[in-house]
Amino acid sequence: MSRLTSAVPTEQYLADSQVLFYLNDAVTQLLDHKEEYTQFGLVRYFAEYFSSVKNSNHVLFREFSYIRATQHNRASFIRVFWRCFRQIGKSGDLLSVLEYRSLLQLLCPDFPLEVVRSAARIVLMDDATDCLMSFSDFIYAFQLQFYYQEFLDSVQVIYQDLLAGKSPNTVIVPTSSSVEQLMAVAAEENDREEQQQDGVDSSTLAECVDALCDRFKHSYPSRTCTREVLEQIEKVSYYGFLMSLAKHEGINQAIGALPSKEELLIDPEMDQELDKLIGQISVSPGSNSSGSAVGGLKEVQRRASPRRNIHHRRKIEVESDGSTEETDSSEN
Amino acid sequence: MITFIFFYFHFTTMDNLVLDYYTNCAEVCDDKVKKSSITSIKMNTFAWYCTVFIYFFHFYFRIRKICCLESLSKLSILDLHDNQISKIENISHLSELQVLNLSGNRISRVENLQGLNSLTELNLQYNCISAVTELACLPGLQRLFLSCNSILSFDQLACLGESRSLSELTLDGNPVALETWYKQAVLRCVLHLRQLDMKRITDEDRRMAGVLTRKEEEKKRESHKQTIQKCLLLTVQGNNFSAFSTLLFQIGCFHVFLPRLVETGSGSAQSLSLSDSHLAELDGDTLRLFGLGALEALERGWGVQTAGAVTVIAFRFINFDAIVPTLPRIRVKFPNLSHLIFLETNISRLPQLAALAQVRRLDQLTIHPEGNPVVSLALWRSFIIYRLYHFNLQKINGQEVTMNDVIAAERVFGTLGHIAATETPRCRLLLLLEESRKRQLQFLLEGRGRRAGLSPEELRDNGKLLGEGLSRALFNYPSRDCNEATVESSERAAVIEQYLQELVKRASDTNLKGEALHKLWPSMFAEMVKDCVLDMRDRGAFRRDSLAKLTETK
Repeated sequence: MSRLTSAVPTEQYLADSQVLFYLNDAVTQLLDHKEEYTQFGLVRYFAEYFSSVKNSNHVLFREFSYIRATQHNRASFIRVFWRCFRQIGKSGDLLSVLEYRSLLQLLCPDFPLEVVRSAARIVLMDDATDCLMSFSDFIYAFQLQFYYQEFLDSVQVIYQDLLAGKSPNTVIVPTSSSVEQLMAVAAEENDREEQQQDGVDSSTLAECVDALCDRFKHSYPSRTCTREVLEQIEKVSYYGFLMSLAKHEGINQAIGALPSKEELLIDPEMDQELDKLIGQISVSPGSNSSGSAVGGLKEVQRRASPRRNIHHRRKIEVESDGSTEETDSSEN
Repeated sequence: MITFIFFYFHFTTMDNLVLDYYTNCAEVCDDKVKKSSITSIKMNTFAWYCTVFIYFFHFYFRIRKICCLESLSKLSILDLHDNQISKIENISHLSELQVLNLSGNRISRVENLQGLNSLTELNLQYNCISAVTELACLPGLQRLFLSCNSILSFDQLACLGESRSLSELTLDGNPVALETWYKQAVLRCVLHLRQLDMKRITDEDRRMAGVLTRKEEEKKRESHKQTIQKCLLLTVQGNNFSAFSTLLFQIGCFHVFLPRLVETGSGSAQSLSLSDSHLAELDGDTLRLFGLGALEALERGWGVQTAGAVTVIAFRFINFDAIVPTLPRIRVKFPNLSHLIFLETNISRLPQLAALAQVRRLDQLTIHPEGNPVVSLALWRSFIIYRLYHFNLQKINGQEVTMNDVIAAERVFGTLGHIAATETPRCRLLLLLEESRKRQLQFLLEGRGRRAGLSPEELRDNGKLLGEGLSRALFNYPSRDCNEATVESSERAAVIEQYLQELVKRASDTNLKGEALHKLWPSMFAEMVKDCVLDMRDRGAFRRDSLAKLTETK
C-alpha cells in the first residue's frame, strides 16, 4: 500500500498540486450554474472537470483570473493558443499587438492588453510597439512573459536597481509597488535611455537573479538556463536578457507547453482535420443553412459515411493545392 | 313684376301660424284655434283663397326678399323654401321662431340670425352658401341643414364649433364633404354632434377623430422640427469614436451636433422619432438610427408591410454593446433585412462581431473604419467570413466575398473552431451555447427511452454530431459569463471554503488513519496469528469452546 506512505505532509501536497484550487473552482462553477449541471449529472460533472484539467482542456473560454491562477493553467493556455493559431504561423502573416490580443480574446474573453504588450516588448526590444511580429517570435515571448510573469517583474526591479547603481545586495521586496515606483523615478533621473542601451553587467545580474531565486515563492526558470544565458555576453539589457531567455530551448522544455522552434509549425493531425474542414466548405459553397439544429444534423449524416470521406479527401487535396497559391496571393 | 307681396293676415290674435306655400294650405297649429273650428274653417277658407292667390303668384313670381314680417312676433315656423331669396334679413324680431326653412333659395351667406333665440332648426339646403357665420348667437340651435351648398373648406365652417347645442348637421353635397377625413374633422369641430348627414355618429367615429387630431398635431410638430434640423450643421472630427463624441453622449448635447446627411435631403425620408439626442429615419427601404435613443424606434409597433420593406439598417453614433441586445428583436421584426451598416459604433474586438450571427439573414455588411477600431485589425474580415459562414455574405465593406476568401478564413480559424468544438469540456459547452443548441446537447447526453444517453467520450468521437455549426456557434458575444451580485458570490465563496476545509480534514484524517494502520498492521497481524495459534493448541478444548459459542449465539 505504497500510496499511503506519504513522503510529503498533507498540507504541502495539497498546496503543491493545487488540488484545492481546482476543487474550489469546480464547486463554485457548480453552484453558479446549478440548473444546467444538475441535469448534466454531478458525478459526470466532476469527472469531466478533473479529466479536462488533466488533459489541459479546462482553460478554454475561461476568464483570465482563472487562467493565470496556476502554472498548469498558464501552460495549458499557451498550448491551446499554439494549437489553435498555428495556421497563422504557417501562412507567414505578421500581426500587431492588438491583433494578437484579439486572437487571445477569442479564447479568453477578458484577456488584458498589458500582458500582450509586455510580450511584444520582449520581441521588439522595447521599440515601437506597433510593429508587426511573426507568430513564432510572439509565441515564445508570450510563453515566457505569461508563465514567468512574477519572476520577470522581480527581475525588472533588480535591473532598474542595478541601472540606478544601487548595491546588488540590498534586500528588495519584489512585489511592493511603492518600491517599484521609487525605482522608476530613480531610473528616469539617471538618464534612462542611455543606460538601457548599455545594459548591465551580466555577472552582477546573474548573482542578483540567483539571490532572487533563493527566496522566490513563485516559479522561476531553472538557474542553469539563466546562468547559461548570462554567461554568453558581458553586458546585457533587460529586454535582450528576456529575449534570449525566450529563445532558450531548455526553458521551453521545462515549461513543456510548446514544441521546439523547428517543430513549431508541424502538427500533421491538425492539418488533416483542417483539410477536411476546408474540403467540406469547398464542396458545399452555397449552403445556406442557418446553423439550425436540423440543418446541422443533416450535414453530419452526409459526412458520417467513410466512403464519402475518402472521396472528399482526394478531392480536397487537389482543391487545396490549387487554392493555396491563390489564397496566399490574395492574403497579401 | 310684382316685387312685394303683402301678407294681409291680421292674425295678431293667433298665437301660432304656419305658412306653408308648398302644400297650399295654411295649417293652424294652435290648439285654441283648432278648437274654434268654425273660425278656423273660415280662416282656412279665407286663407286658402289667399294662398291660392298667393300660390298663383308664387308659381310665376318667387319671393325675392324677406320683409314685412314685423307684426308676426309670435311666429314659430317660417317656411320660405324654393324662392329666390338672396339674403337673410328682417327676421331678427322673431324671437319665438323655432323652425326656419330657407332651402332652395339663393342665399350665399348665413347672417343676421341674431335674436332668433328659440330657433331649433335651420334649413338652408340647396342654396349657394359659402360661408357660415354667427351661429353662436343661436343658443338653442339643434338641427342645421346645409346640404348642397358651396362650402369649400373647413375654415368656412369655423363657427360651427362655437355652437354648443348643435346635434344634427348635414353637409353632404358640399365640396368640403369630399375631403379625406371630412367626418373626423367635423367631429373635431363640433363635439356634441349626434347625426351627420342623417347618419348617427358612432363611438368608432369619435375615436378616429381623436386619432386624427393627434396625427395632425404630430405631423405639424415634426415638420416644424425638421425645418429646424435642416438648419443645423455639424462635422465630427476624428476617425475614432473619440472621447469627444463620448462626452457629447454623456452630457446629452448631441442635438447641437447632429450631422446633416446629404442623403436625407430628399423629402421622402420619414422621421420616426426625433429628440434632442437621437433621430430615427425611415427612408424607403433604409432605416437610419442616430444616437442611442433611436433604438427605441425599433420597439414601436411596425406595420407588417413597412417592416417588410426595410432591407437596410444603418447605425451611427450608437455603442455596439447597446445594439447587441436589440438584434434578436431585429431578427423577428425585419424579415427582409439584408444589409447592416455600422458607423462610429465603437466595435473594437473580434468577439463583438460574432454577435451579428443573431440576425436571420445577411447579404451585405458594412463596418466603416470611422469609429470602429476593429477594422484596423488584419483578421477582422476573415473572422466575419468564418463566423458568419452560414449567412453566405456577398459583400463586406463593398468588397465581394470570394470563395478564396472563405477558404482563407477557414484556414485561419478552422483549427480554432475544431478544437473549441471537440475539446471544450461538455459542461463548459452547456454554458457557452445558446438555448436551442444547449437543449440539443442536453438531449444527446441524456438517454430517452430506447436511445441511451451518450457519454462524453462518445460525444467526443462523434464530435460533429451537433453539426458543424457548433464550432462557430461557440463564439458568442456577449459571452455568457453571468454577473452575479457580489454579496451572493462572496457568501458562496465562504460556504465553499468551509465545505472544502471539512473535506480536506476528512480526507487527511482518513489518510492519517490509513498510515497509522499501515504502520501498525504487521504487529497487529502477528498478534492475531499468535492469538489464533494459542487458542488452537488444545484441540479438544478449542472444539468444545467453539461449539459452546455457536449454541450461545443461536
